[in-house]
Amino acid sequence: MGQPIIELRHVIQRYGDHTILKNINLTLEPGKFYTLLGPSGCGKTTILRTISGFNQVTSGDVLFDGHRINDVPANHRNVNTVFQDYALFPHLTVAENVAFGLTLQKRPKSEITQKVDQTLKLVRLAGYQDRAISALSGGQQQRVAIARAIIMQPRVLLLDEPLSALDAKLRREMQYELRDLQQRLGITFLFVTHDQEEALAMSDEIFVMNNGEVLQSGTPVDIYDEPINHFVADFIGESNILPGKMVADFQVVVNGQQFECSDAGIPTDEPVEVVLRPEDLTLTDLAHAKLTMTIDTQLFRGDYYEIAATDTRGHSWLIHSVNPAEDGETIGISFRPQDLHVMRLHEKEAEFDARLGTYEGTEDADHDQP
Amino acid sequence: MTNRKNWGYFLPYGLWLVLFVIAPVALIVYQSFFNLDHQLPLNNYATYFQSGVYLKMTANSIWYALLITLFTGIISYPTAYVLHQLKHRQFWLLLVILPTWINILLKAYAFIGIFSQAGMANNFLRFIGIGPHQLLFTNASFIFVATYIQIPFMILPIYNALDDLNPAYVNASLDLGATRWQTFRRVIFPLTLPGVKAGVQAVFIPSLSLFMLTRLIGGNKVITLGTAIEEHFLTTMNWGMGSTIGVILILAMIIVMQLTNDHDQPGGFPR
Amino acid sequence: MKKLSRAYLILIFIILYVPIIYLIVYSFSAGDTMTNYHGFTWKHYADLFADPRMLAIVANTLLVALLSALIATLIGTLGALSIHRTSKRVTRDVLLNLNNILMVSPDVIIGASFLIFFTTLKLPLGFGSVLLSHIAFEIPIVVLMVLPRLREMRPAMLAAAQDLGATTKELLSRVIIPFIAPGIFTGFFMALTYSLDDFAVTFFVTGNGFSTLSVEIYSRARQGIDLEINALSGVMFLFSLLLVAGYYWLQQRHHRRKNKRQGATL
Repeated sequence: MGQPIIELRHVIQRYGDHTILKNINLTLEPGKFYTLLGPSGCGKTTILRTISGFNQVTSGDVLFDGHRINDVPANHRNVNTVFQDYALFPHLTVAENVAFGLTLQKRPKSEITQKVDQTLKLVRLAGYQDRAISALSGGQQQRVAIARAIIMQPRVLLLDEPLSALDAKLRREMQYELRDLQQRLGITFLFVTHDQEEALAMSDEIFVMNNGEVLQSGTPVDIYDEPINHFVADFIGESNILPGKMVADFQVVVNGQQFECSDAGIPTDEPVEVVLRPEDLTLTDLAHAKLTMTIDTQLFRGDYYEIAATDTRGHSWLIHSVNPAEDGETIGISFRPQDLHVMRLHEKEAEFDARLGTYEGTEDADHDQP
Repeated sequence: MTNRKNWGYFLPYGLWLVLFVIAPVALIVYQSFFNLDHQLPLNNYATYFQSGVYLKMTANSIWYALLITLFTGIISYPTAYVLHQLKHRQFWLLLVILPTWINILLKAYAFIGIFSQAGMANNFLRFIGIGPHQLLFTNASFIFVATYIQIPFMILPIYNALDDLNPAYVNASLDLGATRWQTFRRVIFPLTLPGVKAGVQAVFIPSLSLFMLTRLIGGNKVITLGTAIEEHFLTTMNWGMGSTIGVILILAMIIVMQLTNDHDQPGGFPR
Repeated sequence: MKKLSRAYLILIFIILYVPIIYLIVYSFSAGDTMTNYHGFTWKHYADLFADPRMLAIVANTLLVALLSALIATLIGTLGALSIHRTSKRVTRDVLLNLNNILMVSPDVIIGASFLIFFTTLKLPLGFGSVLLSHIAFEIPIVVLMVLPRLREMRPAMLAAAQDLGATTKELLSRVIIPFIAPGIFTGFFMALTYSLDDFAVTFFVTGNGFSTLSVEIYSRARQGIDLEINALSGVMFLFSLLLVAGYYWLQQRHHRRKNKRQGATL
């Protein structure tokens, strides 16, 4: 853990009586890949604009290297942005676009040329110097936008949904490249997206946002495996969420049946929600079934079948299975205790972390044995 | 980027707005209240509305402008439509624009020759056995030349409207079983109507004020509002009455604008 | 159907061009009228170029056109920038409507009102009043040509420039002006043609002694046919052709440069 490079403290943003950001606190450390993940309108772009200097917050502090930078204008911050839709200058060539920032600093020509060549090579566009922007494909424009920002050697690179305009295949390629680039440059990336798959694939740490609040932050694995609430569970990955009731530590009642689970520290008889990921459910014969259900329909997804089924109580389920099932067939479902994740209603991140701390590492070890 | 720091940029433009837009309009309205002897406000307006001559002249002028606009429209729409389907339409469009580059007076002057007793038009009439006729200095020749001059200004906005029309609408209409004619009447024409309106705007108002044509071609038989203004300002020096007619013309202009204004105008051709 | 429409189009083009061709053909006629062609001669062109008054008028016309177009382009561009920056919708709409008044007003009204204006200010009529009038009626067209380019400029592009360290001044000189340059260029060009084309406004504010081509043609044409005017129209047609050709050549070159860069992709 190094000295944090960017910190937001109690940041609040209001437009009239509309609150866009409600008390945001977050810390970015050097050299990590961070992602702000949330649906559109959740305030993630506002956070980005706050850090880049295009947005003045209503209250709260923005710190860079421990210094308050609320009043430093955008053109004086050692932070650069890769804009959504790139915002490349259409009247300049590729090289002129990339060189733009350095030309403003009146650096010597030879130095600029050398740096531009070097940077273009880094984003795999060597030899594209004299092209017009309009002659580039979407993916190439994307790389120019990245090159234009990283040539400034920012301490932090902000990326505003940079992959949203690309097609699915290119987007996957760019995920690898961005991750790779971040590791080679060793600078902090703050990436904004509404695509959970992108966030999970690239990030060291994800901030899940909704309605101007950070709901949960943590590594992709933490967030995927232990979502804090219904919203996070639903937004990240696919999930079956059912109402349940805690009857004792590590014991929960769902659908009128009692199951072993991996959660504790919740008062007895408290109503909770239970998450089961579709890929954690296994089709089995009725004798070994934890739950029984009828297959409604299924879709072939290439590497698995996505099966929709209804249980005896009328709840709809989603199951990912390598093997197909038959429509109308009654089958059994089984899962492991650690696949069943319990969420308390209205629990905040701090409370969640505190509760986890009370039993994790001791009991967890027993329950995680497959 | 503070606005306060850069208000100096606005200064020349603002000065222009005040001196050459607001002041002249205000002056012409102010002037319209005074007759030759600088007396009695509204005197000119009383004269205008009581004298049959002025009212008849106005009615005539509007009638001619309507005819010119109508003929221009009837000729221009099909032209723009056919033009738009051509392969090298940009080139042909350029050929439509080119005549607008020739000074309007030269074009009017050409017609003095063409319509003269021994000119081309009368030669043609003689050839088919119905001439010669007195062509120059007639109402018909005035309307013909005015229409000739206005055609490009009508073709261009209609062409632009056709160009803005998404071909998918036409395909959708045909797909739904409409004939070509039905597609034109129910889809293409309504959707290009803004272009026609822009064209009407570009043609009708100038047609009210083409004083040089009435002088050179109409032989002073046709008096438009424009002719009357020119005469009052430059011949009889009755600026008050001239301004009064000017205000009437401005009002006519505002009415036409209101009737033809679409809130989302396609790129009409500015004159 | 197709043949019919082609025939119609050809007819329209004939009508559009007959008067122009008629004018030019007779400029080479040895007679004195625009009837009965009398055989080829350069005489009228020789007369035209030997007429010092005419040459002075041509020079005046070009001077007024170039000077007024330059000044109007400058003021109009500044105006477009200020209109674009007004954040209040109402203010912007008011400014735009005021801007368009001179665009839609009939020439006669502009001429008459400017005449009253100059007389009220006791400004002498002549070169100065004509130049001022031309600048005045050219400004709005420049604004209208520049504004769409400004609107096409996405805010993200400006943000990107600032993000890379550009100051307000650099933003203007490095990003905004180069981006709207095509609009400025078209605006200048339109202003030039408006000036060359104008008759009515000049006619009102020119007074005695100063004349432009349009006014001169009008006063000569009122006296009847004079084949020197035909010769003049021949010269002006050629000039127009050259201007159009030049304009399209510049645009084509711009495209070609772009295409060349695009071609480099292969």
